[in-house]
Amino acid sequence: MVEKIVRCPECSKITTFYGNPGDCLSVTCPKCGIKGKVTFKKTVTTENVAIEVYNLKKVYGDLIAVNDISFSVNKGEVFAFLGPNGAGKTTTVEIIESIRKPTAGVIKILGKDIKTSFNQVKEKIGILPQEFHSFEKLTVRETLEYFSMFYKKRVNIDDILDVMDLRSYEKMLYKNLSGGLKQRVGVAISLVNDPDIVFLDEPSTGLDPKARREVWNVISSLRNKGKTVFLTTHYMEEAEYLADHIAVIHKGKIIAEGSLEYLLDKYGHGSLLRIKKCKDPNAVEMLKDKGFEAESEGNGNISIKIDYKDKVINVLSQLRYEGIDYDSIEIRRSNLEEVFLHLTGAKLSEENT
Amino acid sequence: MRPKVIAMDFYANLKIWIRSKGTLFWSLAFPVILIFLFGAIFSGMDDVEYSLYVQDLDDSDMSEVFIEVLKETGVLSIESVKDDINITSYIKDENIKRLIVIPEGFGEDIKKASFDTSVTVTVSFYLDPGEQQSNQVVKSIIFSIIQNMNMNISQGRDIIKLKEVSTMTDDFNFIDFFLPGIIGMTIMQSCIYGSIERNTKYRKDGILRKLLTMPITRAEWIFAKMLFMLFLSFISSALIILVGVFVWDMTINITPFMILIIIASSFLFSGIGMIVGRFVKEEETADTAGGAIGFPMMFLAGTFWPVDQLDPVMQGIAKVLPLYYINEGLRNAMIYMNEAETIRNSVIVIVFALVFFIAGLVLTKWHED
Repeated sequence: MVEKIVRCPECSKITTFYGNPGDCLSVTCPKCGIKGKVTFKKTVTTENVAIEVYNLKKVYGDLIAVNDISFSVNKGEVFAFLGPNGAGKTTTVEIIESIRKPTAGVIKILGKDIKTSFNQVKEKIGILPQEFHSFEKLTVRETLEYFSMFYKKRVNIDDILDVMDLRSYEKMLYKNLSGGLKQRVGVAISLVNDPDIVFLDEPSTGLDPKARREVWNVISSLRNKGKTVFLTTHYMEEAEYLADHIAVIHKGKIIAEGSLEYLLDKYGHGSLLRIKKCKDPNAVEMLKDKGFEAESEGNGNISIKIDYKDKVINVLSQLRYEGIDYDSIEIRRSNLEEVFLHLTGAKLSEENT
Repeated sequence: MRPKVIAMDFYANLKIWIRSKGTLFWSLAFPVILIFLFGAIFSGMDDVEYSLYVQDLDDSDMSEVFIEVLKETGVLSIESVKDDINITSYIKDENIKRLIVIPEGFGEDIKKASFDTSVTVTVSFYLDPGEQQSNQVVKSIIFSIIQNMNMNISQGRDIIKLKEVSTMTDDFNFIDFFLPGIIGMTIMQSCIYGSIERNTKYRKDGILRKLLTMPITRAEWIFAKMLFMLFLSFISSALIILVGVFVWDMTINITPFMILIIIASSFLFSGIGMIVGRFVKEEETADTAGGAIGFPMMFLAGTFWPVDQLDPVMQGIAKVLPLYYINEGLRNAMIYMNEAETIRNSVIVIVFALVFFIAGLVLTKWHED
């Protein structure tokens, strides 16, 4: 038997129903009496799920910050919650972390409802809050010792210092660390209890590219250790580089969700092959005749949509066969910016400014 | 409640405190500097008026001569006080700084003393300990006149004696008044600003959000912080007392009520800091708000000078301020040894502490909206 939490479309009452995977049950809302059907997916396996969020809603007066979102995070994956500033990322993650109270919805961490069992969950999660700054007058080692003392299960501080490459900074006061190192210490703090799930809220915001890359390496290492990472970010490159699974949130709603490949395939324009400074003005027509989706970009540049990797070779072979010369080629991969543009009509990078 | 967690938190706070030069200065060095400065200032303070009230209960030729000599010094402005006036209430009502009482039988006793060596006459000198320097000047003038008279009458035997009576209480001077005020002020500053830091800076830095997700209870956190604030209050108080004893040669009584008032004050001002932190989110604004509460209270509540010297409106304001009762309670417990006043002020301080600390606990939010 598995459970499914359902929100009544009529009265919004949240009810838990039980059934076997694959079942389709006729149900009645216990509040308003409306009848409906509930289907239990065959693929539902809660033992592999780290976080479950059902119909989460957060309202501030007239503002709906989080609008009835549901998603789940599998164990051992890096889950990126991607969206522009003000989309509802931090509100969502802070509700999951029990820092804020939801207006409606159910959240489970490792199978436990946080509304009633968050204290049991605390030992198994590690959190880096947004814009976190630790105690300025404690050294790196003292900071880690301080935050570890609250937990029953503790990782050896020397091990964390080594793993996070902080050994040479252990005696430095927190206030004297660079921004990147402070964030690294912040991530290290979230690991002092050897958590199963690590929440990182915008861990690289405000960092220079080098420091950001350092933080990414740390997050990658967490995945390699089998940790589940819940990452919020407004940097699409961060999500592309790190995430196994991405949920795109916009104006409080999840507008797309899946692996990077899935999102690019479904919402991106595919990859483009650009032929630069083509010497033959008839090349576009020739390529179109041969079945390629080619377009002239002006100045002799031609772009061809690439939907499978061998297509690049096919295009170049055809050009060689026809004796058409060109200066160079460039392959541009589709990215999350295109996905976001496709879904919202706006660029993610512009929404962040 | 886990003692180990509380002990570790205390230890971390201690390290942060020791490494924070600014906090060290304000909590330890500043009150000590004040004790030195104000002690020196009030010791050197001048009074151009040197007014002296005189109540002549003898009304004899000899007492008239004595008053005339006082006038002839050219330094003292003599104001007569009728002999049927109650001196104690007169001094208080008229805010008199210096007054001498020539006792009844002054002239007769001086005559007797010429042939009876056991007879002496005592002139009482009432003085306000807050006017230490000018009192010293006037006292030396009166003393030299008395010495001169003694020399003329009996070749130097102490027939006329001068007895000092403080208008505040016996045997006290300004530093006795000042030191307990500095203790109250230091506790106020440390606890209000410490509490504000925890409730605004730690909130802004995400430390409170982090703690919410960790296995520490709110009670453990607050208990650990209060333990540290108490430690700070006692360290500051001990240092101030040591300076008082060793530099200003004070006699200070360490009593259970003094300790009780220090504990209650720490909770009281931490509660005020929590309330400020609840309504003022920005760290800089919260510091300003803390100053806006602390500074007027410091000057109005009898830290640096007796409240009785303020005008009646200000006295009314002073008497609704908790620091006033802390200062008065500490003075009575440590210096004046006035048990009734100590208990009365202690009870008021404890009530203030309960109200403000509980209000602070209720109003302080850890969770975000």
